[in-house]
Amino acid sequence: MRKLLTVVPERCTGCLICELVCSFYHTKEFNPKRSRIDVLRDEEKGVNIPVICRQCAKPLCQEACPSDAIHRDEETGAMFVDGSKCIGCRLCIAACPFGAPSVDPTTMLTTICDLCRGDPRCVKYCPRDAVLYVRPDTISLIRRQQSAKKITRFPT
Amino acid sequence: MIYVSDYGGYAGRYLRADLSSGKITIHELEKELPRYYIGGVGFCAKILWDEVGPDTKPLNPDNVLVFATGPLTGTFFHSSGRYVVAAKSPLTGCWGEAHAGGHFGPELKYAGYDMAILEGKATNPVYLYVDDDFLELKDAAHLWGRDTNETTKAIREELGDPTIKVACIGQAGENLVRYACIISDFYRAAGRTGMGAVMGSKNLKAIAVRGSKSILATSSMKYMEAATEAFRKVTETWGEACESSLGRYGTPNLVEVEASIGRLPTKNHIFGIYDHADDIGSEVLEKRYRAMRESCFSCGIQCKFISEVRSGAYAGTTTSGPEYETIMAFGSNCLNNNVESIIHANLLCNLCGLDTISAGKVVSFAMECYDKGIVTRREADDLDLSWGNSDAIVQLVHRISKREGLGDLLAEGSRIAARRLGRGAEEFAIQVKGMEVSGQDGRAHQSSGLTHATAARGADHLTSLSCLEEKGYEETAGTRYGSERAKDLVNPLSTTYRGRLVKDLEDLFVLTDSLIICKYGVMWPPIFYFDDFAKVIPPLTGMVEYDDIGELRLTAERICNLRKAFNAREGLTRKDDTLPKRFLREPMPSGPGAGYVCNLDPMLDEYYEARGWDKESGLPLRKALTRVGLEDVADDLEALGRLGG
Repeated sequence: MRKLLTVVPERCTGCLICELVCSFYHTKEFNPKRSRIDVLRDEEKGVNIPVICRQCAKPLCQEACPSDAIHRDEETGAMFVDGSKCIGCRLCIAACPFGAPSVDPTTMLTTICDLCRGDPRCVKYCPRDAVLYVRPDTISLIRRQQSAKKITRFPT
Repeated sequence: MIYVSDYGGYAGRYLRADLSSGKITIHELEKELPRYYIGGVGFCAKILWDEVGPDTKPLNPDNVLVFATGPLTGTFFHSSGRYVVAAKSPLTGCWGEAHAGGHFGPELKYAGYDMAILEGKATNPVYLYVDDDFLELKDAAHLWGRDTNETTKAIREELGDPTIKVACIGQAGENLVRYACIISDFYRAAGRTGMGAVMGSKNLKAIAVRGSKSILATSSMKYMEAATEAFRKVTETWGEACESSLGRYGTPNLVEVEASIGRLPTKNHIFGIYDHADDIGSEVLEKRYRAMRESCFSCGIQCKFISEVRSGAYAGTTTSGPEYETIMAFGSNCLNNNVESIIHANLLCNLCGLDTISAGKVVSFAMECYDKGIVTRREADDLDLSWGNSDAIVQLVHRISKREGLGDLLAEGSRIAARRLGRGAEEFAIQVKGMEVSGQDGRAHQSSGLTHATAARGADHLTSLSCLEEKGYEETAGTRYGSERAKDLVNPLSTTYRGRLVKDLEDLFVLTDSLIICKYGVMWPPIFYFDDFAKVIPPLTGMVEYDDIGELRLTAERICNLRKAFNAREGLTRKDDTLPKRFLREPMPSGPGAGYVCNLDPMLDEYYEARGWDKESGLPLRKALTRVGLEDVADDLEALGRLGG
């Protein structure tokens, strides 16, 4: 079964290792601004929320793309931006309810998480397990466990 | 001139802003800097040696303030989020240096600068705005007088960029409090030696940075492999050790550690044992006040916590920390077991931009003077400075930052304040070279006394502190210095081999501060040593000579010698490499170190010998400087009569 990328924001501490390793995997450069995962931060309150492509079953980015640059990768299910077709119009960003796609400041084209072709580096390197790559049926389970832990002494 | 662009890991440029003329220029990094000084504090040593002489007064426009990063900064390596700020210190009058974590350092590098050098003095308050190649000095009149939190938010708002990284000063820096710090990311402090006052003296309120450029390694895959291996050492090999101490509690974990070895500064360093240590310890903070865990950039340990006081006199206090040093300074050392007041004092220091160590230590100095009748209640502006009066502590922090009443005197630091007070107050100023002693005690932990005495920036721990005996890392001691020595090296009361040990750690730490990464991972736990850095510097930078540990050590020694030479040129000698009388003459009254004074002289002799410096004067010898390629420095010192021998 295809896996999905998911986030447990309360675990995230804002170290940005995910952004570093993402940019490195895709560009061989260290540059969080070229990353496809972005941690939304409120440093004052210590709140950190990793924003990722949610691999929607009905991807609005793809619908919005005027140059037919966005396709689903059949193997991983990732939304793949074809750099040779992308015109950098950013309509996909406007269409995405989460603002998940990013503009790469070097190429000025749009990038979307490609799941590192099935081995997401952010997951591999996250020291807090705040980003997970799991089966679809596990996604709700993580939340349910967290909620159960709050109201009972459910061991997680 | 050969430039650095063929070295990986560097931005390859630096900026220089002359605040007097308003002119900002961009320079290519001369290749000599990375090759011989690596980065960070190494760069600072070279620049301050070249540009800041004995005639420069710390708070005059001709002092030069350097913000520097290193080759590891902003790359994937454990704790690569740091930057260093250096200038001649208004607190010590000699070498000044302060470091901070967070995210500011990497951002400066992503903007394309290994360093930002600030000189001169602006006519009116300004802040420096850096957005990649766009550089501008912007008016900061409306920010003057505002705290670091307000300043950070106001700058973000007016630049329309909620993610811009801001390093700024608060009111303490504006008011030239000699131990004012620089705050970045709201809570991260480049704390020691008064770098915030230097910023204030230049009318520079803040530096706001936004960067979108990349950092490239010379052999990117090889570097990533080596950096990953190093990272796994932190999170896996030493994972349990890190997570059960720093990871779970942060540095407050040290309250219990120091209590157990009798080295928790108490009552202005009279004692090393505090009866109420549990009230201000890590368990209390974790259970009652913890709100969030946060991390500096690219860190595998992640030891930062936000604390919240929800009720009582200090309700509504939210700040990152308190760190061990803050707890020690405002807590045990003032006999204050009101942990909420400590958190609040921490918040105040962050907001007005004060170094919590010096601020707390100045308060405990005032309390002892009050206790001994040197400062009367009238002189204290009707504050009751009795030991443990937590409200008075908080009030005094306010007054120091505003330089009100007694606060104006205390803003000068304990050395100057004691001189002005006279009446024997100097005995109670627990400082070295003018900087207040950090949270160790050379009586119960002998080598920490040598560290305090020899550190270039004054009584500092992060220059060379040995954690081997503090936490009993016997195996590490054996691997590094020979198994026959290991047992003795973990004995805090032993002075054997400590001169060589402190020299070795100073070399290791100066390299750490040049690359730059955090001491957590190098000092505590002692994960990285020279060989680990030798694996990453060559693939990152292309400087293949640094796969040789000997070469790496030589560069570390070069930087240490240059930093020492800076102080020698200022006139400092062996008599300045000393400790407060309390550590040398008053035996520790209780605890594991009971009956001990710090046996400094033999350790100091051995340290100078290991460095190749003159034992009598404490000045560097020509031979030592020549060995590390600093012949010209030896010539300069000789001309000034400051060369040893």
